[in-house]
Amino acid sequence: MLEELLMAFINGILLGGVLALLAFGLNLIFGVVKIIHMAYGQFVMLGFYFIYYFHTAWHMPLLVAMAGGIVVMGLLGMLVQLLIINPLLNAPRLNQLLALASLIIVLENLAQVLWGADYRGIPISMPIIQFGDIFIRSSYLLAFLGAIATLGILYLFLHKTYFGLAIRSVAQDVEIAKGMGINPKVIYYITLAAGGALTGVVAAFFIPIYTVHPHFGASFTLMAFVIVVFGGMGNLMGGFISAFIIGVVTSITAVLTSTEVADILALVLFILMMMVRPQGILGAKA
Amino acid sequence: MKRNSTTSKIITVGVLLIIALAPLLATSEYMVHIGTLILLWAFVSTAWAYMARFGLVSLGHGVFLGIGAYIPVMLFNYYGVSPWLGMLAGVGAAVLVAAILGYSCFRFGLIGDYFALVTLAMAEVVSLAIVACREVTGGSLGCTLKASVGWASFQFDDKRYFYYIIFVFLLLALYIWRLIDKSRMRLALTAIEESELAASSMGVSIIRFKMGITLLSAGLTAMGGVLYAQYITYINPGTISGVGVSLSTCFKAILGGMFNIFGPLAGSAIMVSLEEYFRISFDTGFLGVSEIIFGVVLLVMIIFLPKGIVGSVSEWLNKRFGVARS
Amino acid sequence: MLTVDAIDTYYGEFQALEGVSLKVEKGQTVIVVGPNGAGKSTLLKTILGLQKARTGSIKFQGEEISGLAPHKVVERGISMVPEGGRVFPDLSVQDNLRVGSYNPVARPNAQRQMEQIFSLFPILSDRKRQAAGSLSGGERQMLAIARSLMSCPQLIMLDEPSLGLAPLVVNMVFDFIQQMKKEGYAILLVEQNANKALKVADYAYLVESGKLVYEGDRDSFDKNPYIKTAYLGL
Ligand SMILES: Nc1ncnc2c1ncn2[C@@H]1O[C@H](COP(=O)(O)OP(=O)(O)OP(=O)(O)O)[C@@H](O)[C@H]1O
Ligand SMILES: [Mg+2]
Repeated sequence: MLEELLMAFINGILLGGVLALLAFGLNLIFGVVKIIHMAYGQFVMLGFYFIYYFHTAWHMPLLVAMAGGIVVMGLLGMLVQLLIINPLLNAPRLNQLLALASLIIVLENLAQVLWGADYRGIPISMPIIQFGDIFIRSSYLLAFLGAIATLGILYLFLHKTYFGLAIRSVAQDVEIAKGMGINPKVIYYITLAAGGALTGVVAAFFIPIYTVHPHFGASFTLMAFVIVVFGGMGNLMGGFISAFIIGVVTSITAVLTSTEVADILALVLFILMMMVRPQGILGAKA
Repeated sequence: MKRNSTTSKIITVGVLLIIALAPLLATSEYMVHIGTLILLWAFVSTAWAYMARFGLVSLGHGVFLGIGAYIPVMLFNYYGVSPWLGMLAGVGAAVLVAAILGYSCFRFGLIGDYFALVTLAMAEVVSLAIVACREVTGGSLGCTLKASVGWASFQFDDKRYFYYIIFVFLLLALYIWRLIDKSRMRLALTAIEESELAASSMGVSIIRFKMGITLLSAGLTAMGGVLYAQYITYINPGTISGVGVSLSTCFKAILGGMFNIFGPLAGSAIMVSLEEYFRISFDTGFLGVSEIIFGVVLLVMIIFLPKGIVGSVSEWLNKRFGVARS
Repeated sequence: MLTVDAIDTYYGEFQALEGVSLKVEKGQTVIVVGPNGAGKSTLLKTILGLQKARTGSIKFQGEEISGLAPHKVVERGISMVPEGGRVFPDLSVQDNLRVGSYNPVARPNAQRQMEQIFSLFPILSDRKRQAAGSLSGGERQMLAIARSLMSCPQLIMLDEPSLGLAPLVVNMVFDFIQQMKKEGYAILLVEQNANKALKVADYAYLVESGKLVYEGDRDSFDKNPYIKTAYLGL
């Protein structure tokens, strides 16, 4: 039992890394464009399908297919900005929310029409690493390391480039940023493209772990939400920390009870957090 | 309002007459079935719009649909409890849950998109809970209501029964809408929606009025769940609880226009017909095409016609001819 | 250099500016005074393109700029110090300055410009890694002014830079404006502190409820009896 819990803990940490990456994208979009991307998990689903399709139908080598998936998802992110977010930039928040929620319907059914309702995946066998009584799946470890590396690159992008600087300043005060000569529309496109590409990256890490189906994304949307709210909406550091907390808590709960109960627990945490401490674990009292 | 009340009365009576007479003109059982579905979803989304039109946009009405659908079915299947009692239990449970959830939301001042997100999460919690209790509920595979025809078990062979029963419930929901419009509640809720601070300083008890409309909406929605289960006789968490049905309930009302008494009815009619049309014309190979079109239509609506079809049409009529919104 | 001709600016249905015209010549310091809500900030925002003028024209160096997006206006050489010294609170002092040089015209000189600014404002140099939100009010105002210099502007617009500052700091701010003037920048200064502002002004305008009600050079302002009692507190 103790080994099982320890393994659940380790898996929670490893999966937490990927969740941190996912939540980072959602958080960035919220922080910069002030929009809650309701269909973010569905983007991961699409990314998965694209990689699958490029690899199996167009016979691209896996790594090339992954790169292709990432690029396509980045472009799709920009398309969402162009077609949905731009026209709604000054609309009530609720309309933005509902528009992106209807995007969920479009994307899930699009996947169903294009690829059918069956589970699809690319079979890759990756070794299991053993430390004494502890077994670690190398696919999880790889995803974790890759996610952390991606986060590092994103950090450097945000802090060492002019675009990163512009993104951070638009997030803080759009009007003044405009006065500095920044065109926020361009920044929004970059943000959505980065957010879209991130879903492609997450999908690439998920390839050896999961199989995909049209409703694959829903649980990830919720998971990313839970993490983002837990860490404080728009707070990138808070999101990073809470990804690991949520990852470990759900992973251990799933071992002790069932995955549904683990998900329920995460959602209940989300609801309580929204009620009692909407600024998140790290946020200052508003 | 008064000036044009005859026009809107004529429209109202006309619409209701058409609905009442439709089954007599229907050429097939199938058409009655579609009509029943339209009325059922119209009933549910009308109840949803009670809250939404005062700014309480819930994305979690699947909570009440699920509770309303599952409790009577479980009671009947396992203990043979009459669905008439089960109905009371289901609606009662939903109202109780609404009281707890609503109170916590309003107590902590959740409004707008935060309220929407929290209710969305609640819908998912209920759906997951139904799956988690798979020994009893059948999990994600769902369960079938034990067949037993007659008034005592609230199941009928002739589809017309449910058509008219649900029609009566829809009438009730529309009547309550009218009552709300005439009552103090409407004034209070409108004031609250405009500014909570100003309303509370005017002595309006915000939580009480929000709770009132929430319990009403939840109770009727749960009744919709009961009717769905009795009519379809098969329920599963994916179709009658959770995020999917919650969103589609609210989208029907938005499509038609949630600020107009006939908006949800119009939205349900359009959506259910559209769904059926695409299901038939595209067959199973293209399962999902209708939803894609529906989703795109919704997006276009939210972007270009945020008041919904009925709302926009009546606004346009208003401008053109001075006809009142009903 | 800057010619504003009969502009009307609206917020929805509300008209905030009505037929306002003004001129700033090369190297000149022009001030706009007026009570709260007169439309002074709106005027600056309209010039920068943050608000659209419904009618009228705005010319900068002979070219029409009204209707341009703010980032285009900044590129042409206008920069603004926003009201209340609004800086980016979570960015470091250094990053705040760097944002100022975001536009492609200014970017190549950013490093040199920043060094110059640090020698002008040693306080900012000392705090360059500190978050701007942790600066004092006066330091924040200084940072906002310094940031506006980063975009290599020819015209600097300042929106009530002395607002809410202690007298000593106010003097520092005006000393600095004086110095910018000497360096040849054209300055458009909005102020409620008319006494101080007139001391640096070559030409002045008075705005009340969205309309220009008086204009003239320093002497004619000083002598006008209405302005004397209402704005100079004499
Ligand atoms: N975003 C806005 N929306 C609507 N009205 C506005 C907005 N900003 C300013 N106003 C109105 O426009 C008028 C002019 O405002 P403005 O901020 O330009 O005044 P000001 O002269 O800068 O005042 P102050 O000295 O207080 O800064 C005011 O009546 C104000 O209420
Ligand atoms: Mg002002």
